[in-house]
Amino acid sequence: MKFHVPDASVVRQELTGENIYTLTINSPEIAHEAQPGQFAHLRYGNSADPLLRRPLSINDVEREKGWVVFSYQVVGKGTQLLSELKAGDMLDVIGPLGHGFETDFCGKKVGLIGGGLGIAPLIFLGRKLALQNQVQAFWGARSRELLPRLAMGENFTTGEDVDFPFSSTVVTEDGSSGRKGLVTKILLEQLAADAQGTQATQGAQDFPERFDLLFACGPKPMLVAVAQLAREYNIPLQVSLESVMACGVGACLGCTIKGKKKGEDRKTQFKVCQDGPVFWAEEVLWGE
Amino acid sequence: MSNRTERDNNPNNKNDDCFVNHNKEVYNKEIKPRVRMDKGVDLSVELAGIKLKNPVMTASGTFSFGEAYTDFFPLESLGAIVVKGVTLEPRAGNSTPRLGETPAGLLNSIGLENPGVEAVLKKYLPPLGGYNLPVIVNIAGNTIEEYGEVAVRLSASPVVKGLEVNISCPNVREGGMAFGSHPEMAAKVVRMVKENTDLPVIVKLSPNVTDIGEMAVAVEDAGADVLSLINTLLGMAIDIHKRKPVLGNIMGGLSGPAVKPIGVRMVWQVAEKVQIPIIGMGGIMTAADALEYIMAGATAVAVGTGQFVNPYCCVEIVKGLEEYCFKYGVERISDLKGAAQRGAK
Repeated sequence: MKFHVPDASVVRQELTGENIYTLTINSPEIAHEAQPGQFAHLRYGNSADPLLRRPLSINDVEREKGWVVFSYQVVGKGTQLLSELKAGDMLDVIGPLGHGFETDFCGKKVGLIGGGLGIAPLIFLGRKLALQNQVQAFWGARSRELLPRLAMGENFTTGEDVDFPFSSTVVTEDGSSGRKGLVTKILLEQLAADAQGTQATQGAQDFPERFDLLFACGPKPMLVAVAQLAREYNIPLQVSLESVMACGVGACLGCTIKGKKKGEDRKTQFKVCQDGPVFWAEEVLWGE
Repeated sequence: MSNRTERDNNPNNKNDDCFVNHNKEVYNKEIKPRVRMDKGVDLSVELAGIKLKNPVMTASGTFSFGEAYTDFFPLESLGAIVVKGVTLEPRAGNSTPRLGETPAGLLNSIGLENPGVEAVLKKYLPPLGGYNLPVIVNIAGNTIEEYGEVAVRLSASPVVKGLEVNISCPNVREGGMAFGSHPEMAAKVVRMVKENTDLPVIVKLSPNVTDIGEMAVAVEDAGADVLSLINTLLGMAIDIHKRKPVLGNIMGGLSGPAVKPIGVRMVWQVAEKVQIPIIGMGGIMTAADALEYIMAGATAVAVGTGQFVNPYCCVEIVKGLEEYCFKYGVERISDLKGAAQRGAK
């Protein structure tokens, strides 16, 4: 069920990293309905430039308060204008949209692999999965400034430390926070160690067994690398894809990708906005 | 998402009350007419025998087969719907990225992605038969014969009330604009479609020509019943950080408010030259935009990109047209057709 809320108010807007903002809006309908991996389509003002709505991944919800949280990086005119919104300003929001993560699992060991802004929606996912599964997270970013503060266990809205119901390993490319390197390299070490029955990564002591499922969200090169590892180690993986989109509701065919439905040989086309943004990695034809 | 299809395809559910729309102002605003209007405003128009309850249509390729927007408003509040361009065989469309935003505009290079005429007849058109609303299907082909073949097959469907011949898509190598930029070729396509259907034939013209009037006259002479204009303008954008074109297909069609003055100008020029009705389109976002097209000479209007930005665009335009007519004491929207042509004299 999707809602159109033309008068969702901004609760708060905070700078939470290098050009990274966290926006909280009040929209009880969307907060109530949203599932991890879904997105919302935002419009602010009536200007023809920027013309299109902006799709933002839903990073978290506070259902009791009716709040929906997004994180985004300022990359152009649209996100610049979005970052200038203040508490009390109004947004026109359609959501929740798209097909989110499949979370109907129980008693599994699951791994979350988040890159940069892709970390935030996985925290929303992790909280849900952790109710019935063992969750271990790998958070990667180029540097500390590009790591969403939430990933460090800091709740910027309350200033309190967040106690995640799962363990997490932070990795930065420049070593400014956590371990140094690529998150995919750390993941590989863990998978290789699991396969040999040894422990490689801090925080993994509690569940030394193999992962049953993986979930990834982040830049495409990271997703491609994780998909390859998942294939090598034969672990089912769900990925959340990004795409430019215009309508967000399956009409314009601007976000089409090539893929293959699970268990079918025939190639097909998916709409990222409607069939995704979350897919099983094996459904995505990465090179096409 | 699993219940989407079921809900979308069920006409009885189109006004889903779980769908929240707070935009009450648009729907409940009380209008005080400047002059007394005993009969109310007559928004109906006619396009070569196709009766529309109001002049607002969807532009092909922007409204899927209707299913994407049934959650937002009852389809029957539209004058007519024009569905996605259909070809004989399924088409995968162009490589990605297919979209690029420009100031007040949108570049696209979708490339006529569609499931092919058979799937359209079997799967996509039947649900539309449940609505009291003319359904017009946009058709395209690689060859003149393909246009004829698609026309024959679609004409057998009781759901289809008109065909819109696409000789103006800038995003396909064969057919499309290649047919729409030579008057003789365009006329051949139109004659072929006319020979293969009894339905009204609408011809969608490309703005990427030197003389739009010449094209319009050529297709009118070939038997076109209605003209649609404009299709998108060929354009491109470059990503200066990646140092390559934004679109995977390099060039694409520009739409959105940026192209409206060109569309209005072309409708004006064509209206001076042909007798058949015109569907005006290009950058329509509001009732004011629609009125410009109507006053330039269009009988009806179509909304495309505006729909992506504001899913209620069409409904708000219908309301806005009614308000305008009340305000100025216009009894029939059709009285405004070509008003600016008369005003300029």
